[in-house]
Amino acid sequence: MLQSKELIRDGAKVGDAQSANRPALELRNLVTRFPGDDGAFNIVDGVSLSVAPGETLAVVGESGSGKTMTFLSAIGLVPRPGKVVEGEILLDGTDLLKLSEEDMRALRGTRLSMVFQDPLTGLNPVFTIGDQIAGVLHAHRKLSRAEARQTAIGLLEKVHIPDPHRRIDDYPHQLSGGMRQRVLIAMAISLEPQVLIADEPTTALDVTVQAQVLELLAELREQSGMAIVLITHDLGLVARYADRVAVMYAGRVAETGDAEAIFERTAHPYTVSLFRSVPSLETDTASDLLEIEGQPPDPAALPAGCAFEPRCYLGHGRQDCQTTRPALRAVGDSSHRAACLHSSEVITEGTAE
Amino acid sequence: MSQITADATAMRDREAARRRRRKAIRRYTSHPGFVIGAVIIALMAIIAIGAPWIAPNSPLATDLANTLAPPSWQFPLGTDQFGRCVLSRLIYGAQISLQVGFWVVLISLTFGTLIGALAGFIGGWLERVIVALIDIMLAFPGFLLALALVAAQGSSLTSVITAVAIAYTPRVATVMRSVVLTIRPRPFIEASHAIGLSSFRILIRHVIPNALPPVIVVATVSAATAILAEAGLSFLGLGVQPPTATWGSVIAEGQAIITTRPLISLSAGICIAIAVIGLNLLGDGLRDTLDPQMRRQTGGKML
Amino acid sequence: MNTPVSLSTDRDALVRVDNLRKVFGGKRWMFGKAGPEVSAVDGVSFSVGRGETFGVVGETGSGKSTLGRLLLRLLNPTDGRVVFDGRDITHLSQSELRRLRGDMQMVFQDPYGSLDPRMKVGAIVAEPMQVHGTDRSQIVRRTGEILEQVGLPPATADRYPHEFSGGQRQRIGIARAMALNPKLLILDEPVSALDVSIQAQILNLLRRIQRETGVTYIFIAHDLAVVRHISERIAVMYLGRVVEMAPRQKLYAAPRHPYTASLLSAVPIPDLKAERHRKRIALHGEIGSATALPSGCRFHPRCFKARLKASADGVATAKIADDVFVPRQCVESDPELQADAEDHFVACHFPLEPGEAVDHGIATTSNE
Repeated sequence: MLQSKELIRDGAKVGDAQSANRPALELRNLVTRFPGDDGAFNIVDGVSLSVAPGETLAVVGESGSGKTMTFLSAIGLVPRPGKVVEGEILLDGTDLLKLSEEDMRALRGTRLSMVFQDPLTGLNPVFTIGDQIAGVLHAHRKLSRAEARQTAIGLLEKVHIPDPHRRIDDYPHQLSGGMRQRVLIAMAISLEPQVLIADEPTTALDVTVQAQVLELLAELREQSGMAIVLITHDLGLVARYADRVAVMYAGRVAETGDAEAIFERTAHPYTVSLFRSVPSLETDTASDLLEIEGQPPDPAALPAGCAFEPRCYLGHGRQDCQTTRPALRAVGDSSHRAACLHSSEVITEGTAE
Repeated sequence: MSQITADATAMRDREAARRRRRKAIRRYTSHPGFVIGAVIIALMAIIAIGAPWIAPNSPLATDLANTLAPPSWQFPLGTDQFGRCVLSRLIYGAQISLQVGFWVVLISLTFGTLIGALAGFIGGWLERVIVALIDIMLAFPGFLLALALVAAQGSSLTSVITAVAIAYTPRVATVMRSVVLTIRPRPFIEASHAIGLSSFRILIRHVIPNALPPVIVVATVSAATAILAEAGLSFLGLGVQPPTATWGSVIAEGQAIITTRPLISLSAGICIAIAVIGLNLLGDGLRDTLDPQMRRQTGGKML
Repeated sequence: MNTPVSLSTDRDALVRVDNLRKVFGGKRWMFGKAGPEVSAVDGVSFSVGRGETFGVVGETGSGKSTLGRLLLRLLNPTDGRVVFDGRDITHLSQSELRRLRGDMQMVFQDPYGSLDPRMKVGAIVAEPMQVHGTDRSQIVRRTGEILEQVGLPPATADRYPHEFSGGQRQRIGIARAMALNPKLLILDEPVSALDVSIQAQILNLLRRIQRETGVTYIFIAHDLAVVRHISERIAVMYLGRVVEMAPRQKLYAAPRHPYTASLLSAVPIPDLKAERHRKRIALHGEIGSATALPSGCRFHPRCFKARLKASADGVATAKIADDVFVPRQCVESDPELQADAEDHFVACHFPLEPGEAVDHGIATTSNE
């Protein structure tokens, strides 16, 4: 297992050197806009991200940060009346925004798949799980009934559902939350997508089940070399599973880089605040947690300067932070970037401790 | 510095409050159905109340020299076979229709809400008994029930109102009970128990106010059916006794001469139709605007 | 069923619970069919000292929320006893209970649903005071005071709950619960519905209120890190039972019940180096159902320790599935909650020894 991962990693590195290995999914300057009572506003505001084959990109943020909307945009499922108005979505080099609705539908599930937070809403209660998985296979692969059923059993086995021959004829309500999430993952990977987007896949699950589901995703990734986008708010999960991290705030990327850079040389005050405000099994219980004051901003009424300035322990009240919107720029090594005017200060402060 | 931010917050709060009030008003005024319905019902009310001043003639004064007159300046819609001014009879008829609508809604809303809320909130055997009784009453068509009650009681405005109200109370109660059933398991009800509120107080303070919006909508629409029922009863001669002018009796009296003077029955029919449409539009408008939660679910724009 | 454990602590206890049970269902209605009986809480005993924060953790179906409602008598216990402030409240009448509610209050999980959407915030906070007969001028003063205490501007009182974010609504919920200065506050998952950056605000607020008022907390949650941060003593529940109970340091540093150890190992920590080297104890299967409890120890079908122990010499074993053996004792007898070390209670036939959980070498997964 260890070896296979190393191989993929090495492969990626070699590929980078030859610049032949494209990212599995790349978003360039993506803007998704919603009409509002007081004029249109961007819920995704110029997001650029990429994830390489075999890599796990964790996207971290609070509700309203645009993390889910970014990837709903990527998969072409922005809820009305929202609309992607700018940018490129490159799946293995193809710009999805230029595809017809029909082509996009054919591509969804086959090459780009998504797993959602609530495992119950993703399943139709009146069909057996076997029918639902076979339905996907039939629609995209034109498999016969018997073949589809056989493949479905194989998939259930792959996601470690015990006794798949019997379970395949169960209805969703007969399964526990963790099992349902496994079924959804089985459906999502049934067509061997290149990119799997998992939106808070374990938030609704108990912690022991969460561990099982995420171990499963990690295992599937190593078997198939697909790229995984893990949307989450849990920094512990990020520490455990992510190769690279993007922290989002108010529809923009606040900081992005290798997991190691984000954890060891944090360069954005928002990321720092997240680390210090969430209790973990290692937090000092004697002192209070760091509070991020105020509320996440209303995307329809963002401040003129840095969106985090009103809540920032470092920049609050600073003139430049109030007037200049910081661009994402390299800090330290080239892949580590942060959108903060004072990121050098943040890094020094972090490493000094 | 904290003083400055506090002031800024207070200012922002005041501004937000102003914006919210404007939004609330806009919510009603931007709903075309609500506006049209409200205007129709308001006009009807003005006409009914102002009848003595608005009506060109007395609704009861017969002029045997002038029967079945065609429309003229003196009788804008002509006269009926007794020489009474049709327009004046319609104007006074609005009084009866509105009274019936108003009282039926008031009575059926009061009793229906109470009965439905008790059944839904208390549950147990009380609910079973009430539901069984409601089902029995609903098994009769509302109009037939009213007809039977009026026939037994003798016809008068009071008995029409009573009969129609009794026929519609179970309908309101059914809606109320089902809404209460959805409210009972909501966390703020449990929270109210935890605070130490008595069940009665929870029912009055929390359950009924939250259940009321959909029930008010049903009641508004049932006002329309009540007006129809009254017209029907009057048409059959079981409603308010002649010579009092009601829309139903104008239709009935015009029926005999409908081939030669269709305008008489038709104009009364149009009055009923407008009133019913007005109330239905108002009900729709209320449904869309009354409940903040419902509004969020149905989402932004109507029509 | 199992004898009440004597848990008298030297501290003056505010709450004492003896062998508390709650069975749902099983009752037949006039026409309906009798449903299966579910023991949501099945023989729980503990006591909580004045001014203490007592944490209750457990997964879905552990009975922790039911327990909170039994303590407040929002649900009536099937069996057992709740003593509050020296008074047995198990059989109080509804009207006596209502008077008591001034002393024991609750904060709910759902900050959106637990406030009446049709009432202004001021009215919501004032309501408990009106019910308990506080006079009008005092209510106005106290409303302003309590809103300020939970960090909300006075103007909040004139607004409706839907105008506020989740965190602010939870502040309103706390203000309502604290309005009458209760002795006990039961917090049922008070931060689990909130955004991560808001959780810290609420946890700090709760700690500050306790410092200022000396109120006793019973903090119910599924998040082990959150419970650890706020609680002094913690009970771990599994399928209606307390399986382990200990002061914070002991429970987290040296868990003795295999279930606690598995739970702790499943929680990832936001520290890259540490997390990537941590080993994880895999729990077998899924949490059982309270309608069909396993015989003996209710955790045995999922327990790594039982399987490990079964392979040791001289242990009588029982087969529970193909190739799966556990000690016969685990299948046949239900372990009682017993004090092992001082203040450290565990309900297990083969509790873990210090350091054992991380070293046993089997059934672990790790992404290294």
